[in-house]
Amino acid sequence: MSGPAAVPGGVIDCDVHHGRRSDSELLEYLPQAWREYVLGPAPGPPVPLTLRDGYPNPHGFMRRETYPSEGEAGSDLALMDEQLLRPTDTVRAVLTYGDDLHVSGLHNPYFASALARALNDWTIDHWLSADERLAGSIIVACQLPDEAAKEIRRHSEESRMVQVLLGDNPTKHPFGHPVFHPIYEAAVETGRPIAIHAGASDWANPPSTGGGTASTYIEAHTLWPQTAMTHLVSFVAHGVFEKFPELRLLLIETGAAWLAPLLWRFDAEYRGLRREVPWMRRLPSEYFARHVWVTTQPLELSPRREQMIELLSWIGADDKLVYSSDYPHWDADDLDYLCARLPRDWLAKVLRENAMRLYGWSEADLPAPAARATGE
Amino acid sequence: VSSQDVGPVEAFPEGEVRVVSAGRREVGVTCWLGQLYAMRNVCPHQRGPVCRGWLTPRLTATAPGTMELRDEAPVIACPWHGWEFDLRSGRALSDERYALRTYPVRVENGRVLVEL
Repeated sequence: MSGPAAVPGGVIDCDVHHGRRSDSELLEYLPQAWREYVLGPAPGPPVPLTLRDGYPNPHGFMRRETYPSEGEAGSDLALMDEQLLRPTDTVRAVLTYGDDLHVSGLHNPYFASALARALNDWTIDHWLSADERLAGSIIVACQLPDEAAKEIRRHSEESRMVQVLLGDNPTKHPFGHPVFHPIYEAAVETGRPIAIHAGASDWANPPSTGGGTASTYIEAHTLWPQTAMTHLVSFVAHGVFEKFPELRLLLIETGAAWLAPLLWRFDAEYRGLRREVPWMRRLPSEYFARHVWVTTQPLELSPRREQMIELLSWIGADDKLVYSSDYPHWDADDLDYLCARLPRDWLAKVLRENAMRLYGWSEADLPAPAARATGE
Repeated sequence: VSSQDVGPVEAFPEGEVRVVSAGRREVGVTCWLGQLYAMRNVCPHQRGPVCRGWLTPRLTATAPGTMELRDEAPVIACPWHGWEFDLRSGRALSDERYALRTYPVRVENGRVLVEL
């Protein structure tokens, strides 16, 4: 990858998956009682810290060259720097966890909440303190929304934990449902966007699609936009943006081409069904324009480049798209490839300025492109 | 503008929509809280017979999950796709860019006159 000259200040990458070298790296952040619960007195393996069921990818989930000599892909900052940050002139990478992203898929809500706390502390200590280019996400265990809200407020002063991250959905309710509102209240109170990452329903918690449970990874992965559709429609219909007018929402890794036709349909439905949701005061497309951002990867591959641009134009994508690499995953988008697919006059916005707006950053909040890893 | 006599005031009972011919147009006339309203019987969406739909007070909300009625706001919903219009302005509740054609109405000597 090489950095685009179109963005002299350096780019902002909104989806970089940071992993762990080992379980022990995280265990030290769990309270002693939970460590005892995990390690236990009995012989045999400990209680797993991470959900690994889901759908197997026959090629594996990570780019082959991203594995360090020890630990999982994405767990070595020096390698991440060499392969991603420096070649792309990334001045800010928002970290979004590896398999730990699926903490909300765990059956035990108390353990999940303890793990989420440990993951956030581990991120701050191991990653944010090591490199000023990195920003963190507050991962929350959605099983217990009130506990999740407490966890968000616990980091009120930690400005480098820049968003609240929702991964799996442990309930049958999409994320707009009032059961989740304590999370959004805390996010708004502490000035952070909500980010929903792909897989937010279909990893560990069937049903994986609206029509039934997928059998293969190719089905589940193809249909990830369906989960984002469900959550987005739910946010708007439940009036989340009316209840929390300051709320910003980021959809990560669920594509962008489907948004225009979904919003056309949603607007049409609202015109006839407003009576059911009279708290909505605007067209769904207007809520989208005011409150929602979308990451680039994986950018849908239209037969002709201009077809995709046309579709994206309908959602005002030059203001809504934020660059994401998805490093170190198998389907990561190369930055040069992305730049070649988008109009040149979108690049400064998509690769930098839109994310600044989403996160409320000024130029002074971002390191210069020359900044390099300082630790690890 | 021409005034069209569409009948005696008793022909337009409170809360009901009567569709009458006014020149070459079909016009719906109704009385809501003692006030007369008139509108063309054509929905701006797909030209459906909007005045054959449902006349109700406006359903509204002060917060998500709540429901309230605003009696002072008469709303007609098209029977085809449910588009709702506030009779006072003619505007669609969901999108002010769309509106029913409405007409001024007055009563003279017990007769209802619609100004077309």
